Amino acid sequence: MSTVAWTGWVTLVMAVALTTTNPLYLTIVLLTVILVAAISPKTEGAGLGIRFMLVLGLALFVLSIGVAVINTGSGEHVLLTLPRLDAPDKLGGLSLGGDITAEAVVGGAIRGTVILSILLGFAVFSAAVSPHAVLRLAPAVLFHAGLVITIGLALLPSTLADLQRIREVQALRGRAAGIRELPAIVVPVVMGGLDRAMRFAEAMEARGYATPPPVPAATRLLGMASAPLLIAAAWIWFYYPEIRWMGVLAAVAGVAAVLLWGWDIARRRRTTRLNVEREPLLLFVAGRASFLLAAGAVLADLGGWLPTSYNPFAGLPAPEFGAVGALLALAPTWPLLFLASAEGRPSEGRAAPEAVLQ
Amino acid sequence: MIATLDRVTYTYPAGHSPALRQIQLTLDEGRFVVVAGPSAGGKSTFLRLFNGLVPQFSGGRFEGRVRVCGRDATRTPSRDLALTAGMVFQDPEAQSIVDRVEDEIAFALEQRGLRPSEMRARIDGVLRALAIEHLRDRRLTTLSGGERQRVAIAAVLALGPRLLLLDEPTSQLDPDGAELVVDAIHRLHGERGLTTLVVEHRLDRFLPLADDVVHVADGAAARLAPRRFAAAYAGAPAVARLGRRLGLDPLPLTPAEAYAGHAAALAALRPRPLPARPPVGAELIGARGLELAYGSIAALAGASLVLKEGEILALMGPNASGKSSLLRAIVGLAEPGAGELHFGGERPPEGVAARSAFAGLVPQQPALALYQATVAEEIADSLASRRSALSLAAALARWGLTEIAERDPRDLSVGQQQRVAIAAMLAHEPPVWLLDEPTRGADPATKTWLAERLRVHTASGGAAIIATHDIEAAAAIATRVVRLDGGRVDFDLPATVAFGAGGPLPTQVAQLVPGALLPEDVLV
Repeated sequence: MSTVAWTGWVTLVMAVALTTTNPLYLTIVLLTVILVAAISPKTEGAGLGIRFMLVLGLALFVLSIGVAVINTGSGEHVLLTLPRLDAPDKLGGLSLGGDITAEAVVGGAIRGTVILSILLGFAVFSAAVSPHAVLRLAPAVLFHAGLVITIGLALLPSTLADLQRIREVQALRGRAAGIRELPAIVVPVVMGGLDRAMRFAEAMEARGYATPPPVPAATRLLGMASAPLLIAAAWIWFYYPEIRWMGVLAAVAGVAAVLLWGWDIARRRRTTRLNVEREPLLLFVAGRASFLLAAGAVLADLGGWLPTSYNPFAGLPAPEFGAVGALLALAPTWPLLFLASAEGRPSEGRAAPEAVLQ
Repeated sequence: MIATLDRVTYTYPAGHSPALRQIQLTLDEGRFVVVAGPSAGGKSTFLRLFNGLVPQFSGGRFEGRVRVCGRDATRTPSRDLALTAGMVFQDPEAQSIVDRVEDEIAFALEQRGLRPSEMRARIDGVLRALAIEHLRDRRLTTLSGGERQRVAIAAVLALGPRLLLLDEPTSQLDPDGAELVVDAIHRLHGERGLTTLVVEHRLDRFLPLADDVVHVADGAAARLAPRRFAAAYAGAPAVARLGRRLGLDPLPLTPAEAYAGHAAALAALRPRPLPARPPVGAELIGARGLELAYGSIAALAGASLVLKEGEILALMGPNASGKSSLLRAIVGLAEPGAGELHFGGERPPEGVAARSAFAGLVPQQPALALYQATVAEEIADSLASRRSALSLAAALARWGLTEIAERDPRDLSVGQQQRVAIAAMLAHEPPVWLLDEPTRGADPATKTWLAERLRVHTASGGAAIIATHDIEAAAAIATRVVRLDGGRVDFDLPATVAFGAGGPLPTQVAQLVPGALLPEDVLV
């Protein structure tokens, strides 16, 4: 699968997970991601990354339930009662403990499933696609943000190697391991990391990557104006329903400002590509359709038209199950069509393990 | 004329005194220029004038004018100047962005908006020029240091600069990798007539190729002819130092030049009688049949050696031959799967801290671990960790650090940092010193300092193992040479035999005067 197709897929997973609170649909999304994770091509190291994200996601799932049950207290189906601790009103009136309700457990599990699905989706994406390939796809306007992220990722392995080397050197100086010895490890790692980052930045400057062409003041003004316009649009839409048309106008103006800003920067920073990834027509359509579907899901959710919401605190009703929601939850399964036929082959972004060991 | 420096004086933002002073220099097109001088003399700062990194990236106070290819290097944006003056840095890992070789070279061209056909032509050209066509589809993480450095040069060359700047391009590489890079740079200069400036400590490779040498010391720069420079510089190649002693004219820069120009004079030379081998004492380290593997890769396959009091053992061999692994196994950083190890004839203690109290290891890049605010605190920290009875003042004096005791280690030159780091690792004066590549990237002054410290240490009954690729430096201090290959001992010989004429690793002087190893060993 191509980098664009994987980017479309992970965007769709994120959009569907974030716009859905129905536990049935969320379970389908999670199972879908697990299925894609199982069949997607990955190197040994990437497999480790997926396992790490799975463990992290499960930990956050449990934490989410834990946080929900000890500070919610609302709901009718009480499972057990703990001693209650009320913070003063000046501190926000937060309550800890008290009634532990089934509604709170379900609410926490829903949030936890969203987090787990997104983390796992990103782990699969990261295992299948090189960050460098994503950087090369980034539009000109996002080039520098992408470059910063790529450099950060490039420095991560060397920083971890430094950490190991410094631990060894401190042991060779006769320092015992322990919390009191932490500065002897942390200070050199941080200083070394900063030094390495400076050397990297200098090398980038010397190659001319770091200096974009100058952007005129009018274009910068457009970019700056877009943020308050979009914030105002959201504010009006949610808090002043009687004048939503003004919110729509502000949103249109904000989006137009962003597009003009991006277009002008892209026009000035004319980039080309040596190699363009070739995609079969079906994959091309699936990747782009994912972006459209993700955008549609977000807009439909903002408009309140998406039948995928569920509120456990409304008496813990049985979740609904309809065709639209089920199809939306099943949409991220589309990579299975392509992966099943290419199982065992390395992806375009990452080399196979034997290539790494050459 | 490709570049002009007019009364350039520059001070770093936190600098108390100028790093460069009143530099007045011109550079002609097509020349191969070596920039040499002592550590912290201003060589790297000097090089960065030509692509505007000084002062555009570094900041600080700048006076004077720098013009490169007719442009003001202090005002032209680096994005544009990169097309004129391309720069390659020391560390091949700290200058790549993308993960495949072809993509890495194409990246800068893509940012310039070149057509794919033009990009392909340029990439083909630079891959061919650097003889790395076979690496085109490889991932950078799978390449050796020498290969990565050649890819970095290719990425810079693809932009079509008229001036190539190289900042110690071989200092992080093993001899094979360094040889490949030197050959590539030499070929590029010859075939393309590219004006090239190289900052380098290891002059034996670059000096014979140079048209000019710029000597940078204490912030001042002077342009000299290579032979005139070699006639005066302490760190000149051994063959040039020998020629200097003998008054040879023209001064040879390679053994081949010496043979060609002065065969009769060389034939008449006699070596000074070699000093008697210093007496050796009891066994300090005994390793027998050590085996060590990292996963499925065998690092040691039955390596054995014995180190006795008074010995300095040079541990040599190609990359991945097991040198570092042997040192790590001795101090307990790696656990051998088989074999025996003894410290002073007894089983070694458990744990890295306990073992390094007897056999102190200075790993590669020891300066990584410096973290205190002053040199004195750094040494005091080591003494406290070891509960050493030695006073701080005595330790600073012993390691020659008294004058810089109150300086921040991070503000010191690379050579000084290296000295502080070695002193911090060995401040407790263990009987055995293990040094892993201590002369890599070191200037002549640091090598001399280390040699003196080793002589004092072994004279008092200590011993040392030095893993190194540097034949000339090893010949100056070692009493024995052990060469590893494939994790086994290839040979174990006295240094006079190993580095001598007919030996497996002859020095430059031994190739010219059988029986001598160093210029000082020749009777004049």
